[in-house]
Amino acid sequence: MGRPRSFDENQVIASAITLFASRSYDSVSVDDLVTHLGVHRNSLYKTFGSKRGLYLAALRRHLDQDVRPLTHGEPALEAIEAGRLDLLLFAAVERAPVDEEVAAEVARALTWLDAELGGLLTAAALGRRVRTRAGVSTPALSELAGSPPHPETAT
Amino acid sequence: MAKIQITADHVIVKLPLWRQILSLSTGFTIPLENVRGATMDPGAAGEPKGLRSPGTYIPGVLTLGTFYRDGERTFWDVHNRSRVVVLQLTGERYDRLVLEVENPRTVVEHIEAATRPS
Repeated sequence: MGRPRSFDENQVIASAITLFASRSYDSVSVDDLVTHLGVHRNSLYKTFGSKRGLYLAALRRHLDQDVRPLTHGEPALEAIEAGRLDLLLFAAVERAPVDEEVAAEVARALTWLDAELGGLLTAAALGRRVRTRAGVSTPALSELAGSPPHPETAT
Repeated sequence: MAKIQITADHVIVKLPLWRQILSLSTGFTIPLENVRGATMDPGAAGEPKGLRSPGTYIPGVLTLGTFYRDGERTFWDVHNRSRVVVLQLTGERYDRLVLEVENPRTVVEHIEAATRPS
C-alpha cells in the first residue's frame, strides 16, 4: 500500500482547469503541473494516469460545472465573453482535432450551447472570444446581429 | 534506450542486452488494458528515485533498474533525460515505467490512440 493521497483532488482539478484554459496543452509540462497544482509527480500519475488523464478530468469537470448550468438560464453569452468557457474554446481548437475523446466532449458541450443560444450565436460568440483573446477589437454581438452581411450593397 | 512497440493489444518494451544484464530485466509485455497512460516528462528524471533493488544508479548519468519509493515499484531506464516517457500501469509488477525512448511524442501518441476507448 502506498501513502494516502496528501492532496485535494477537487482542488487539483480546479487548478488544472485554470491552467489549461490559459495555456496550450503542449506547453503545459508535468513540471508546470507539479508547480502550479501543488501535487507530487507520483501522486499525479497514480491518480490521473497521465497528463492527458488529468486534462480529460479537468475538461469534463469544466463542462459539467461551467457549461451545463448555462442551459438552465444562466447568461451563456456573458460566460463566453468573460472567458469563463476558455477551456472549452481551447479544447475545440487545439485538442479536439487530434483526440476523439476530447472531440466527443466538445461536441456534447456545443450541443448544450446551441440549444440555449442557437448555432449561429454560439459560433459568433466563440469566434468573438477568439478575436478578443488575440487583441483584435470586435463589434458587440448585438451590432453584428443587426448589420447586413455585405454593407457595401446595402441601400 | 528502450524500444517500445505497440501491437493490437500489448505494449512491448525491449531493452538492449547490456541494460537487461544491469537491470536484471528482460523487458516487458504489457496488455493495453493495464496501461493507464503515457506522458512525455523530461522533468521526471529530477525526482528522487527511492531505494534501488536491483539496478544501477550513477547520478546524472544513468538510472537503470527497479526502484521503490512510497510503496510504489518503478522501473527506470534513463540516460538522456530529455527523451523520457512515463507509463503508468495497473495490475502489473511495476506501478510505473520511466523510460528513455527515441521519439517520446510518437510513443505517447501511439499509446494514447491504442488505449482510447472505442
